[in-house]
Amino acid sequence: MVKAGQMKIQQMAFMIVAVFFFFILVGIFFLRVQFADLQGTSAELQKEQAISSLSVIANMPELNCDSRENLCLDQDKLEVMSGEFGNKYDDFWPVSSIKVYIISTSKEIIQCPGINCNYFELFDNGQKNSEEYSTYVSVCEKRKETGYVYDNCEIAKLVVGRNINEK
Amino acid sequence: MIAKKAQFNFAWMFAIIVGGAILFLAIYGALQTGDTKRFQSDTESAKSISILTDPLQAGFSEGSFGKISFPKETRINNVCFSEGEGKGFGENQLSVSTRSNIGDEWNLPGAATSIQNKYIFSDEKNTGEEYYVFSKPFYLPYKVSDLVFITPKKYCFFDSPDKVLEDLEGLNIPNIQLATESEEGCTIKDPINVCFKGGPDCDINVYGTGQYNEGTVEKSGESQRFTGNLMYAAIFSEKENYECNVERLFYRSGKIAEGLIQKADLMDIRGCDSNLKIPLAQWADLMKVSKASEVASLESTARQIDKQNSRELCRLW
Repeated sequence: MVKAGQMKIQQMAFMIVAVFFFFILVGIFFLRVQFADLQGTSAELQKEQAISSLSVIANMPELNCDSRENLCLDQDKLEVMSGEFGNKYDDFWPVSSIKVYIISTSKEIIQCPGINCNYFELFDNGQKNSEEYSTYVSVCEKRKETGYVYDNCEIAKLVVGRNINEK
Repeated sequence: MIAKKAQFNFAWMFAIIVGGAILFLAIYGALQTGDTKRFQSDTESAKSISILTDPLQAGFSEGSFGKISFPKETRINNVCFSEGEGKGFGENQLSVSTRSNIGDEWNLPGAATSIQNKYIFSDEKNTGEEYYVFSKPFYLPYKVSDLVFITPKKYCFFDSPDKVLEDLEGLNIPNIQLATESEEGCTIKDPINVCFKGGPDCDINVYGTGQYNEGTVEKSGESQRFTGNLMYAAIFSEKENYECNVERLFYRSGKIAEGLIQKADLMDIRGCDSNLKIPLAQWADLMKVSKASEVASLESTARQIDKQNSRELCRLW
């Protein structure tokens, strides 16, 4: 009689342990689904931010031609911002990297400042995994010839990056 | 017989205790999950507000307007940190909290989103279902940034000067009604009355010279000096938020001046000389020490520098 009782308690204990593990497994599964959802939402928001940042960055007074032209970058300002002065803006950017490629016939990418350069790196937070978004812009510089001042413009590509979380 | 009774009692007691524990854990887990889900959703909302305000920035237009709607009453917290607190360009920290049905009136806010490249003017705690967002550019003396205003409140502007009428009529902002002379001209229910020529029922008084390019906004017994479109900032935001964001704008204006000096050096090399390097260096120094209360007195210096730039053959902006 006592043995049968002990058997029942054992059965019940095993059952409880099984139910407990079942709940834990369901919990882990639920958390995993939730976490995947969170990562997806975060990535989507970062992507939206990077895309909307393209025009915001291009129209910022630190880079823009003369605060009146849309998607026009000032080459002198690009040179200033890609130099030491740009380090002061490290915490300012809403993206992980900002690069400007001037479109030319040369296939070689030469970083500015330099002779025949065609690439400005304004900011890079050093993150290896990143996804890039781009838009075409014009890059202009003021020139003075025989008493006249004019804008000399080229086509360029503004590229911003967003971090991708490692899984 | 005694042993059988004891076995029965023990089995039941055991089942009740463990069953109760499992039930308690399940309820606790469900509540925690709900709370986490709410925190996640509030954090997403704050981030979304930051992204939604991107296209609402004025850019090259004279202003822009948009509306953010929430499915239920929501609180947007906007805390400003200026560069004086060791944050460089400073930041606006936006967080969102929803109304609670148990205990406190409002749930704890979700994680805050830090925004360094925008200047968001509002009260520190804003409550409502519909938020009106509009922006105006800010020049000192060159374009510094767009000012973003967020408010769930409704306003009646009485006896607005031509500049304000021009600014707001074009944007057609539904929470701002432009009225003239008597209060009967305003049909909004329980509005905040903004008066440009004084009056008996004014919540906010705006005093300015000419077309209100500079002046003072008085509300809740406090006054805030303004220049240009900062007038709207002073109307729509609390004093702490206003002063903090204005000081952030000063910092940014100073940094742009430093960048323009370097741009002038590069232009000089190409024979495109500029005489603005000294005034800009002085301006950058001035921006480092200026306080928000001095903003109106900077207007004349800024205008002088802008005039000087417009006379240049090779303009810097």
